[in-house]
Amino acid sequence: MNKLLNLFVLLLAFAGFAQQEVSGTVKDPNNVPLGGVTVMIPNTSRGTVTDFDGNFTIEAAAGEALQFSYVGFTKQTITLSDQTDLEVIMAEDAQALDAVVVTALGIKKEVKALGYAVQEVGGENLEKAKEPNFINQLSGRVAGLNIKNSTDLFQNPAIQLRGATPLLVIDGIPDRTLDIWKVNSDDIESVSVLKGATASALYGSVGRNGAIMITTKRGKQGKLSVTFNNSTQFQTDFIRVPDVQTTYGNGNRGVYAYVDGSGSGTEGGGWIWGPRLDQVDPTTPSGFFETPQYNSPVDPTTGALIPIAYTSRGKDNIKNFFDTGIIQSNNVSVGWGNDKADVRMSLSNNYQKGIVPNTDLKNTSFNVAGSIRPSDKLTINGTLTYNKQFTSNFPEVGYGPTNYLYNLILWTGTDVDVRDLKNYWREGQEGIQQRHFNISYYNNPYFQAYEYKRGYNKTNVYGNASFNYDITDELSLRGRTGINEYSLYRDYKEPKSYIGYGAKSRGNFSIAQTNYFDITSDLALHFEKKITDNFGITAEGAYVNYYRNSKNTTQATDGLNLPGFYNLANNAGATLFGTNREEKETINSFYGFVDLEFYNAFYLSLTGRNDKVSTLPDGNNAFFYPSASASVVLSSLFDMPDWVSFAKLRGSWSRVSEGKIGNDPYDYILAYEKGTTWDGTPATYFGSNLLAPNLEPETSDTWEVGANFRVLNNRLGFDLAYYQARDYNNLIYSPISDASGYSSILLNGNEFERKGVELTLDATPIKTDNFSWNTQLNLSHYRRYQKAIYGDREQTEGFLRVGDRTDKIYTSIYQTNADGAVIFENGLPVNDPYARFIGYDEPDLTYGISSQLTYKNFTLSFLFDGRLGGLMYSTTNQKMWWGGTSKGTVNQFRDDANNGENTYIGNGVVVTGGTVSYDVNGAIVEDTRTYAPNEVPVNYISFMQTTSNNQNSNYHYYKETFIKLRELTLTYQFTDNVLKQTPFKALDVSLVGRNLWLASKIPNVDPDSGVDNLHAPSTRNIGFNINAKF
Amino acid sequence: MKKYIRILSLMLLAGCAQVEDLQNDPNRATQVSPDLLLTTIEQAAFNKVSTSAALASRQLTFTDGTNEYQYYNWQRADFDQFDDLKQVQKMVEEARNADSQVYQILAKFFNAYFTVELTRVFGDIPFTEAVQAETGVYMPTYDTQELIYKSVLDSLRTASLELAQNEESIRGDIIYNGDTGKWQKLINSYSLRVLMSLSNKTGSGSIAIIDRFREIVNNPNQFPIFESNEDSGKLTYVDIQNNRYPLFNNNNLQTAYYLEQTFIERLQNLEDPRLFSFADKKPNASTAAQNDFSAYGGLYGSASLSDNAAKAVSGEASRIKPRYYNDPVNEPSLLMGYPELQFTLAEAAARGWIDTDTDSHYKLGIEASMNFYGISDTESYLTSESVQLEDASDIASILTQKHIALFLNTGWQSFYDQRRTGIPEFNVDGGGILNNGKIPKRFMYPQNESINNTENLNTAITRQFPEGDTINALMWLID
Repeated sequence: MNKLLNLFVLLLAFAGFAQQEVSGTVKDPNNVPLGGVTVMIPNTSRGTVTDFDGNFTIEAAAGEALQFSYVGFTKQTITLSDQTDLEVIMAEDAQALDAVVVTALGIKKEVKALGYAVQEVGGENLEKAKEPNFINQLSGRVAGLNIKNSTDLFQNPAIQLRGATPLLVIDGIPDRTLDIWKVNSDDIESVSVLKGATASALYGSVGRNGAIMITTKRGKQGKLSVTFNNSTQFQTDFIRVPDVQTTYGNGNRGVYAYVDGSGSGTEGGGWIWGPRLDQVDPTTPSGFFETPQYNSPVDPTTGALIPIAYTSRGKDNIKNFFDTGIIQSNNVSVGWGNDKADVRMSLSNNYQKGIVPNTDLKNTSFNVAGSIRPSDKLTINGTLTYNKQFTSNFPEVGYGPTNYLYNLILWTGTDVDVRDLKNYWREGQEGIQQRHFNISYYNNPYFQAYEYKRGYNKTNVYGNASFNYDITDELSLRGRTGINEYSLYRDYKEPKSYIGYGAKSRGNFSIAQTNYFDITSDLALHFEKKITDNFGITAEGAYVNYYRNSKNTTQATDGLNLPGFYNLANNAGATLFGTNREEKETINSFYGFVDLEFYNAFYLSLTGRNDKVSTLPDGNNAFFYPSASASVVLSSLFDMPDWVSFAKLRGSWSRVSEGKIGNDPYDYILAYEKGTTWDGTPATYFGSNLLAPNLEPETSDTWEVGANFRVLNNRLGFDLAYYQARDYNNLIYSPISDASGYSSILLNGNEFERKGVELTLDATPIKTDNFSWNTQLNLSHYRRYQKAIYGDREQTEGFLRVGDRTDKIYTSIYQTNADGAVIFENGLPVNDPYARFIGYDEPDLTYGISSQLTYKNFTLSFLFDGRLGGLMYSTTNQKMWWGGTSKGTVNQFRDDANNGENTYIGNGVVVTGGTVSYDVNGAIVEDTRTYAPNEVPVNYISFMQTTSNNQNSNYHYYKETFIKLRELTLTYQFTDNVLKQTPFKALDVSLVGRNLWLASKIPNVDPDSGVDNLHAPSTRNIGFNINAKF
Repeated sequence: MKKYIRILSLMLLAGCAQVEDLQNDPNRATQVSPDLLLTTIEQAAFNKVSTSAALASRQLTFTDGTNEYQYYNWQRADFDQFDDLKQVQKMVEEARNADSQVYQILAKFFNAYFTVELTRVFGDIPFTEAVQAETGVYMPTYDTQELIYKSVLDSLRTASLELAQNEESIRGDIIYNGDTGKWQKLINSYSLRVLMSLSNKTGSGSIAIIDRFREIVNNPNQFPIFESNEDSGKLTYVDIQNNRYPLFNNNNLQTAYYLEQTFIERLQNLEDPRLFSFADKKPNASTAAQNDFSAYGGLYGSASLSDNAAKAVSGEASRIKPRYYNDPVNEPSLLMGYPELQFTLAEAAARGWIDTDTDSHYKLGIEASMNFYGISDTESYLTSESVQLEDASDIASILTQKHIALFLNTGWQSFYDQRRTGIPEFNVDGGGILNNGKIPKRFMYPQNESINNTENLNTAITRQFPEGDTINALMWLID
């Protein structure tokens, strides 16, 4: 090192006599100073970078050429005559040829050099219209990335990239736990989505489904900058609420009289097939039909309940129970940097108040990122984030009595007014028995909100440290180590008399604790050389080690002694129940890549990786996989017509192997499981899966082609990608006859093909001095097929045959005749003992359309997104027909049924003679049946309680098609003239709205989340955002 | 400078874990002692409380929808008990490792038991090739019911004889706490049940049903059988999580299940005090005395759902006794109880298979059943006119009493006895009945078997049931 320095000084001195100091300012075409521009004199070691105000100083002699380069601008060379003060205006690179994106391992690459699909979302898109997590904000913005959102508090959306869950990578370090809550969107510089397996081959198999890569913000060179960002949104109302009938109340067969809340007898078994509400009856004191109810006054002499008016007083239960939710985020960050060091610190606090009373979520992060450059050759980076997610209660989702909608409207007639339930303990039984109209099946929603509490307390610490050392101009050494660590403490408080599914709690308290640690370290030798003007090479070889250790313990009481005292010591049972689990896992890898570049037009990239994993048996646990990708920039090769700004074709092929079975690192080991201890006698059992010997890693081969064209002076661009993957040697649990003693055997088998197409279109239809309009469209389509079945079987256990789409849905339906008419017996439809095909699950098209309109200082942007096609099962709709709350049940048949008359005749036929026989697969072998129309009238209520109206609602599989106005933002940016008088360098304020409007085929449910979990009503969020820079 | 880089690089690599060090699962054991499996197997074998069986046997009714067991339009059952058979196989494996005989002897009983539980549901099932996935048999062939029964009976006999010779102690036994004498009694009593279930087959075949029955009954020293309720094969529940009565805290049981009308009427006609143990008074008679027989009512199993629901809502039907859902321990679950044995002996005597006194078996059975329900004063009932046997071959009364004694216990035994004998009559004449008014004779094979073992299943269906795999087809046992 010292020698080198000496040499450097010597050189300087040697050249010194002819040199003079040249200074200048670099600006963009709008006269804005450009900081960070590289200024250098080719073939010398002299070079510098402009400061924040665009100024530079360099030693140069007349006749020497000064070269100015900066990302997004064309390179400019100025040969010095005798000037000493230069003003350089950089020209914007109209073709955006040199735009860079972040690719695997955090390596920045030029877009033109990529042989695979990458789409980037700038952090500025995530700044204003906030969601509780950044992933929800990516909805509709990336073709092929399908986010299925729920507006429920603290619920993870389903994330699918080309049909599979991608890897989350933060600053080059994978987060295999996919904790989307630990990254604050204010700290995100950019999100880059690597779609194919090629893009992620360098992460190893964990990246085989693509990656969502986050680059966090770092301090920029220049003056100290302080940014403050506040966003506040209110969940004011709902875009979709189950629309229930308010004509009939609780009860069964038109009868309802409360006795003791058990639900039995005249209480109607918890059904909402009760009497008509609001029936005028002049003979009663209230003027309405009256019956004893849970809140009836008690006759002081007889002790009997006094009947009270049976009216629809609970029509507004939804509005009356749910609060206005708040989503607020505040962020302050400080950044500073010069040519030797930079640093950024950021403090964020997100607060969300749920729409369910007594629920919230606090999410706080503190982040420090810095770099030092002690010499020209060495850069050291570090970043560390502390994140805390905390709530003492958040609501439970999923169908059942732990769900708020279940207790509020799905299984509560509007004869119950939720406001009367605020006093939720039975008098004299406080702490022991909740007060509700039915204490066998349902929970008082207030009791649930204030007494049944689920706490969550997670502390994340993650970050990485890295160095880069230039051994020579071409060769550098890079090392990095990154960790993810968290501790999670959860507790579950269950009060006495709480209703779970089919059981009444004796009170319980349980805790679960997880400690997680993973570390990824890599050391790489990097070579980069522009051998001639027309030929460049970049190559890297590296060693990577990944190690994970996680421990989990749970403890639970068996009933509580003292009510409301939540401590394990308060266990009422003989013993506490506990479990613990430990997992360790490691992967040792070598990888390398070579990137070649010819004539600034041909690009070729080759990668290879060898993994040795601990998650497969010894012997088959080391494996190699390669990839290759290439691109050709046509517009650099040929003379294109003027209207073509840029044209590129790309293609890639990759292989990725994965040696892991599910999430359990020990699944390749056959062993005994813990059984049910009986009165202190321990037990074990052996699982139902067998292992084939010689398990191998599973492999995917993917190829992809794409085209990227930009025309009309860069005003219109499109990017088209087509990919096809063959998944083979899959580690599957292949089903075998249950009579063999096992239900499946884990082996390498089955073959699938995935294919899809993605299109991104962007346009700037209008661009004038005062007004501009940008718009972007993302479309994607994806399919997966069964290509082979292990053991040459005719079909899979899911009834798929070779060549079938794997998203075929088979379900239990009613028997039909050849004309499709449903067959009835004794007034009821007859079940078909064989599951039948009913439709496909996957949507045909996923789309997002966004636009940005800027007029002077105003910017209006919006985003629509949605899906076309595909089926989803709706629990909510099925239960509404079953339970009696569907509006469709308000009809004459129902009144007849309430009067004990059987008047409903199902639409179908009855068998009048003949027989039918089936083969083992349910195909009809012989059918001599004859039919007549069904004419047997049945009780409408019995019919619905038995069929849930399945026959007339496609067995409650509904089209998933929807469109949503996801985001609408109006921003005003204060002008420099105004800001001059203030301490602000920049200031903007925005009105924002999210989840504003929905149109869908499916009734009562927001299909966005892709599954019907009986989620809380989808909220509409409206608020504001303030962003200030000092 | 380079030195520091070198140190930094070394630090990066120093902590790296070796793959070989992490290939043992710290959470599970690969080898265990056989008693740990015995506990699991016993829980599976002795947990015999089934509301579905009570619906199919016209003891209970259900009002929250048209229930397939009550209206006889059920379809398929599963092969889950093959997994229990595998646990037995694992117990044998671990017993061999531990050089222990006694678990291998008990395994013979459990193999026989789970096999019979399966075959009486479907007909032919895989047997000789069953539970051999570990040796590569993934698609076992089906054996005929006759072969299966013969083999099962042989192996029960061997088990009893071998157990008599064995002096090892049994650990992990939550049924008899290691009492081999009681195990022997269970095995022989159970053999009698299996033999009686073949009563339609005495005229044909290779099994020598009556001789085998006699061999056991006539040699009590060699083949001891139950002598009291104490000996019953029962699982006693405890008030600990996962060890409680399976219907404890069950909400459906208290809101959607009601007693069956013909069952109530039978108990009323007999003035059977067990009614007060089974049923709650109907809501309309809630103020009546507990022992007022007229305060109880039921719903007619085959009546339409609307008629039954209307009757329930109007307070005319009795719910089950609250102890079934309120008491975490309630009553033990019986694999086979002493009363069942006595009724089996009574039936054998009535059929002339054995020479003992029908009436005394019959009365012992009733008395033991009443004792099971905590009724110690049995004298007046046992001497009442309506309870007396018409003659020594009054099988109807015996099976009626057996049906009462097995209320919501001993699994599907009552249903299969009725399938075999037609006693007691299960009503199918109500307005809601399905399956064209027929009581099903079996269950269809599981659908995944048609995918995973297509050819063998097809062969089995074709050879047994010309009309195909239907719930009304007759299997060998009852043909």
